[in-house]
Amino acid sequence: MINIIKSAAAEINIDPKEVAVYLGYYSAETDENTDTLIAECTEEFLKAADFKACYVEVAVNADGEIDLGFKKIGCSSLKKNLSGCYRAYIFAATTGIESHRLIERNAVISPLKGIVTDCVGSAAIEAFCNKINLSLENYEYLRPRFSPGYGDMPLECQKDIIEFLQTKKNIGMSLTESLMMVPVKSVTAIIGIGKEKNKCTGPGCMICSGINCPYR
Amino acid sequence: MTILEKIKSRITYCDGGAGTLLQSWGLKAGEQPESWNITKPDKIIEMHRQYLEAGADIITSCTFGANRLKFDNLEEIVTAAIKNAKTACEGYDAYVALDIGPTGKMLEPLGDLKFEDAVSIFSETIKIGANAGADLVLIETINDSYEAKAAMIAAKESCNLPVFVTCVYDESKKLMTGADPAAMIAMLEGLGADAIGMNCSLGPKQMAQIVPEFAKYASVPIIVNPNAGLPRSENGKTVFDINADEFSDIMCEIVKSGATIIGGCCGTTPEHIRKTVEKTKNLPFTLPEKKSHTVVSSYTHAVEIGKCPVIIGERINPTGKKRFKEALRENDIGYILNEGLAQNKKGVSILDVNVGLPEINETEMMVNVIKALQGIINLPLQIDTVDPAAMEQAMRIYNGKPLVNSVSGKEESMDAVFPLIKKYGGVVIAVTLDESGIPTTAQGRVEIAKKIITKAKEYGIDEKDIIVDPLAMAVSSDSNSANITLEAIKTLHNMGIKTSLGVSNISFGLPSRADVNAVFYTMAMQNGLDCAIINPFSDEMMKAWHCFMALTGKDKNCSDYIEFADKLSPVQIQAVQKSETSLDSCIVSGLKEQAGAVAAELLKTSSPMEIIDGMIIPALNTVGMGFEEKKVYLPQLLMSAQAAKEAFEAIKSAIPAGESKKGKVVIATVKGDIHDIGKNIVKVLLENYGYEVIDLGKDIAPEVVVDAVKSSGAKLVGLSALMTTTVPAMEETIKLLKKNAPDCKVMVGGAVMTEEYAAMINADSYGSDAMASVRYAEKIYNIV
Repeated sequence: MINIIKSAAAEINIDPKEVAVYLGYYSAETDENTDTLIAECTEEFLKAADFKACYVEVAVNADGEIDLGFKKIGCSSLKKNLSGCYRAYIFAATTGIESHRLIERNAVISPLKGIVTDCVGSAAIEAFCNKINLSLENYEYLRPRFSPGYGDMPLECQKDIIEFLQTKKNIGMSLTESLMMVPVKSVTAIIGIGKEKNKCTGPGCMICSGINCPYR
Repeated sequence: MTILEKIKSRITYCDGGAGTLLQSWGLKAGEQPESWNITKPDKIIEMHRQYLEAGADIITSCTFGANRLKFDNLEEIVTAAIKNAKTACEGYDAYVALDIGPTGKMLEPLGDLKFEDAVSIFSETIKIGANAGADLVLIETINDSYEAKAAMIAAKESCNLPVFVTCVYDESKKLMTGADPAAMIAMLEGLGADAIGMNCSLGPKQMAQIVPEFAKYASVPIIVNPNAGLPRSENGKTVFDINADEFSDIMCEIVKSGATIIGGCCGTTPEHIRKTVEKTKNLPFTLPEKKSHTVVSSYTHAVEIGKCPVIIGERINPTGKKRFKEALRENDIGYILNEGLAQNKKGVSILDVNVGLPEINETEMMVNVIKALQGIINLPLQIDTVDPAAMEQAMRIYNGKPLVNSVSGKEESMDAVFPLIKKYGGVVIAVTLDESGIPTTAQGRVEIAKKIITKAKEYGIDEKDIIVDPLAMAVSSDSNSANITLEAIKTLHNMGIKTSLGVSNISFGLPSRADVNAVFYTMAMQNGLDCAIINPFSDEMMKAWHCFMALTGKDKNCSDYIEFADKLSPVQIQAVQKSETSLDSCIVSGLKEQAGAVAAELLKTSSPMEIIDGMIIPALNTVGMGFEEKKVYLPQLLMSAQAAKEAFEAIKSAIPAGESKKGKVVIATVKGDIHDIGKNIVKVLLENYGYEVIDLGKDIAPEVVVDAVKSSGAKLVGLSALMTTTVPAMEETIKLLKKNAPDCKVMVGGAVMTEEYAAMINADSYGSDAMASVRYAEKIYNIV
């Protein structure tokens, strides 16, 4: 049973400071022009976005693997992430086609507007995933989202997750041949469900293969 | 009785869901049901039989996912599926629909599946199914209008079978990629679908809300195949919340709203269909009326012509525009897109697209521009060309039902254009001239219009899909010309024929043309003009339109007019005094408008090269160094870049030819990589520093990069890749470059790149950020 969740734009809180981090400011103060631009792009993005997520709760076997029926997912870094978990969510989320088009459109208007809208989108999908994950955390604790490409989990796993969750049909999200997600602001992940509040393994992002990624 | 006769004789029934039955018979999660056609044909036949027993007239072959992307033994599967369906039908008065589901891939520009590849994938399955004896093609569960178009074209080109199409709408009554029912109906009917409608995702209650939209616009029979409500989990199993009783009750309402072909989708069972047949078979049978709306569409919405005057923006056209011609010659698609975006902002409803120039390949350019426009702008487009080849390719790849400009009363023109309109669906502008020229009387022009409409009907094209342009001729050379045109508009309008006009010709040769145009435009609208090709940047024209709308009661409470008038008194940009603000500080602070104004002012006292080398470049260097020292951040760097660009634009025309560019750089995002924000930043900075950038775009094959290097003679290439999966394509590109253009240096960058990685794939340089690419270009071209 695939659960589908939608959120209204008004429920998604995009923190301008988070956007500034993606833009490379880290802890530095942004100037007024940049603040204005972030606010403008955030407003446009929220207008265009259609926040949708889907997930399935699955069992994690004794070897720390997940059986999707047609394929097993398991690798050492995922096992580490899922240690102590007997169940997990297979999860996917997206901000929708129209927000994807907005980023493309704004990049044509100017590279500046393009990059700011792109970073707003990154902050938006994170905020949306966090919101959904928080709502799934009932009586139990969730591990940090673990995505294909993190650690030794191959990017090819994207295909299995997309197939398993039927994301194209359910939330309008698909993959290209080179395993890029469409819409661009999308996330797939495995989220362990544990009884104990695990000592956080750190943001999953830090073991992604994009070691030069400015956002880590 | 053929299926087409059947659907016009009574309510026709489709079957229901396959998944629920097959799973109860042992189909595992992730297992392909299509393979059961070969491994368990008896089960497939039994499933069809149960639906036939329940009263289905049309059964869908078990070929939903059967395409070459998923199956190596496609022919075997599809042939077996049709055979199983036909075997099941023995003894029943029923029809076999070849079931065609989505490819599972996203089409360009959103994804990476090329439109023609999608057509070819669908064609392959359809040819096999038609050969195996299917009675019709059912294209279903499509949630992208572009994919629906690809499948429709494939069906029409691969067989002569009737084609039914059902798409997936969500609660907002739209497809996943944005199209509403009116847009889908316009496009699918234009392409020749025999019945259209909806299936999957929603239950009957939600679909009942959408059926009236179909009844309002559709001329062909309406299909409704809902899910059995919404799914929920019960003891680990998926169940649907609407049982056969409730389902069939709502289906009665759906029939009363106008659907005449009904069945079910996910979660529905033979019982759902049996009860639906029982309850609806004696309901009154009413086919949709043939509609006479003139409608064009984009991938999100339809624009109806004839309700109130429609503005077609004329600015994507090189005629008389030096800068636009330059953009076409330099393949500067970005410039053309911005012309589209600016017109969109001005409130036009349709964009005219004319990219004809003797020295360029018009077909190629037209296709590229339309693809790029429909990637970012959702307005319907008017394909404006005299070249039938360009017209055909443009209509084919256009995502919607286009407006086409134009056909004339000449036999040659009608013979070339009408077959295209018939095949691809479109509304065509018919200009009232023929072999004897342009008639000098209104009646003469009306006669040509009638002749064109009669001829169109011979091709099976409705009058509603013809808009007549009775031509505006210069009033300066014939003082009666406006009267003739206006009279022709009025006569055509009274005959119920839609009209369009290229308004500005009227003022040719006169002073203050905008005023003449605006008054003539108002007069034409008063005489019934339905649409006009105008310049939306002309305040006079936009005033005429807004005033007309307000004065004729088409703008409720004059609210649009008030909003328009508010924007009319623009805030004047303060004239910047040279002494107050230096160009240097404008660029460093990222003040775009001021930078342009100051640079223009400076031209009075300095040469362009003095301004560039003495002011713009030093200012950029200040910002660039700040960025490298992490004192200036990316948005500020880009703001400065924009200001510098504005300054360049202001002095560009004064730069002596050949003196401006420092060297050529070819840049591209490698094959398989569809994101190019990083590459675009590199582009703007390199341009700032005076390099001629040949931007090939994204998802670029190695050979294309090599060709560009060879033809331009560039000494430097910049490649970008975002993910580990596209780095091999980068490596391949470098390999091919080293072989074919050994003198050319390659710099690389992107999220996954590192110094080591770059060395490993044989790149000459690694750029950790956009400034690094400028520094490397300076090194290669010995600038510093």
